[in-house]
Amino acid sequence: MEVFGHLAGGFATALQPINVAFLLIGVTLGLVIGVLPGLGGTSGVAILLPISVVVARGDIQGANTTTAVILLAGIYWGALFGGVITSILFNIPGEPWSVVLLFDGFPLAKRRGKPGLALTSSFLSSFVGAFIATLLFTFFAQAIADQALKFGPPELFAVFVLSFTTLIGLGAESPAKAVAMLAFGLLLAAVGFDTLTGQQRLNFGSIDLLAGIGFVPVTIGLFGIGEILASAEEQGIGHMEQISAKLGFQDLFEAMRALRSRIRLVVSNAVIGFLFGVLPGHGATAASFLGYGLARQYSKNKEDFGKGEISGIMGPQATADSAGVASLVPMITLGVPGSPTSAVIMAGLFVWGLQPGPLLFVEHQDFVWGLIASIYLGHFITFLLCLMAVPLLASIMRVPYAIITPFIVVISIIGSYSLNNSMLDVLITITFGLIGYWLRKMHYPLAPLVVALVLGDSTERELRKSLIAGQGSIGIFFSSPLATVLMIASFVLLMLPLVRVLIARARGKAAQPVPSAD
Amino acid sequence: MRPYQVGTAAAIVVIAAVAMFDSRGAFNIAVGTSPGDVGASWYPFWSAALMALGAVWVGVRAFTIPSSGESPFESRTSVLSVLKLVIPMFIYAFSFQWLGFYIATGLYMAFFAWYLGHYRWWAILAVGVITPVAVYVLFEAAFRLILPKSIFYLMGFPF
Repeated sequence: MEVFGHLAGGFATALQPINVAFLLIGVTLGLVIGVLPGLGGTSGVAILLPISVVVARGDIQGANTTTAVILLAGIYWGALFGGVITSILFNIPGEPWSVVLLFDGFPLAKRRGKPGLALTSSFLSSFVGAFIATLLFTFFAQAIADQALKFGPPELFAVFVLSFTTLIGLGAESPAKAVAMLAFGLLLAAVGFDTLTGQQRLNFGSIDLLAGIGFVPVTIGLFGIGEILASAEEQGIGHMEQISAKLGFQDLFEAMRALRSRIRLVVSNAVIGFLFGVLPGHGATAASFLGYGLARQYSKNKEDFGKGEISGIMGPQATADSAGVASLVPMITLGVPGSPTSAVIMAGLFVWGLQPGPLLFVEHQDFVWGLIASIYLGHFITFLLCLMAVPLLASIMRVPYAIITPFIVVISIIGSYSLNNSMLDVLITITFGLIGYWLRKMHYPLAPLVVALVLGDSTERELRKSLIAGQGSIGIFFSSPLATVLMIASFVLLMLPLVRVLIARARGKAAQPVPSAD
Repeated sequence: MRPYQVGTAAAIVVIAAVAMFDSRGAFNIAVGTSPGDVGASWYPFWSAALMALGAVWVGVRAFTIPSSGESPFESRTSVLSVLKLVIPMFIYAFSFQWLGFYIATGLYMAFFAWYLGHYRWWAILAVGVITPVAVYVLFEAAFRLILPKSIFYLMGFPF
């Protein structure tokens, strides 16, 4: 097996002290960047791009282009892990791909008083997801990248529709409210310039709104600020519940037991995340929502989702990390970046004098296999660092209310402002904080809104590209077996609430007391 | 609860109606659009229509299904608790244009330490100073993330 020989050579490169040192620097910086809202993995990699040039040209003894790519990729791995920390502890997403952790990570940490378990479960599933993705990267990178190019707009559109209908058809207490929230998210995603024609829409004359409504300010408001307001009302101001988290190895053991009982979910989500991440332009964020939908779809405890269900943490986290690793595949094999972060890393490759694409595997084997080996090492080191930090991180939940509440508001505002240096984003955050607070009181599900806002742009783009390709005919969505299966599955899921009602009536359950509309 | 459910659904319908009116071009595909394309307004129009449909469905159910009769607010005190957080938050955000991020953050943190924490004066001062300094070091000095400055910035102050 030629691959094993290459991989052994890769480990020999990656384990050189200088490479291990830069990997450690990279993942530590990535963790810090991931924890801080407003600083993303992409901006972190971009900030260190000039330093990587110095590293790549050999100014530091023993360093070369492999060291440089290990440094940049290490930041990405650290950010993939670190983004979940504020999601779980403060209900504020540290990174876009950790938005989905707000649904079950925060409830497990706060309402069920298990921040250590929530963090450990997330790190463990991240590690397993990334490990599986790296295995797939090692053995099937070229073959998968070739297939990914055949995945066209109709298939992508069908995947997005399936994600949406999963949220309506399964688990939602009120399908009507889920539909309204989903459509609200799609509408918000449409604000600003139309990316295909350049026309302005829904901006009502505002120049600031031309850039659109970002999902980060909205989600920070809906979840971060909204949760603070809801807590203040439920428990009274100044009396936020204190979490007595038991810290230590029991969290790790409990998370490992949880992983063992969910291993099929984590492995299948990691594989799906990898296949999704390989598709150019679809990184970890979209994959995380897809992973959440799948976790809920195949769970026996659907009613526990949104209340701190561990599958709601492990499923999306394995998918997101796997997709993050996979986003490097098209960059390395085809010269097409799979995500914004891999686009910045690819820019680094050009600056260092390397040409990403199929020839990279042939002409720079040391570089490619050194990078692949460093992905294994990088995730292992990140996982260990995160585990060591869990007790410290979980103890944050014990900080007094008078400090932690305004501090969450401060962090929320930094997170939303720093995206575009825009005060409008700050106002959007506060406004959606109030909207989220009210919608929560009225029992509207917030997850469909956020998922639709995140995927809305991509969904519209793939829909219209498909229609253009099909000359306006919807037959294009049934032109391939994959697209047909996905569209039929979406339709079945959409009809599920109606079918449930009809079955219940047929069994005479309609005669029983009806639940309140509230 | 019923009036609140119906009111919320009505508000959603109004938002959807405004969006549908703004996207009325959905029925008049712009010149220059590619053959087969539905145009820029089609997607927001039908998203808004779906949103209105969902909200009308919620409203109708609220009317037809017996209401629990309870108020969405637990008590008057609980509403006051929310307002005590919301009002300082708005004042904090709107004060950025004069006080800048750092002074506003110091005052905001100190206010809560005094108002809710009832801390001693030196603890209030410490919270009010340490927080903006830590944010400055971490975000602005280390990661070059520029946050809004106060009217004193032009006088040579660093914040």
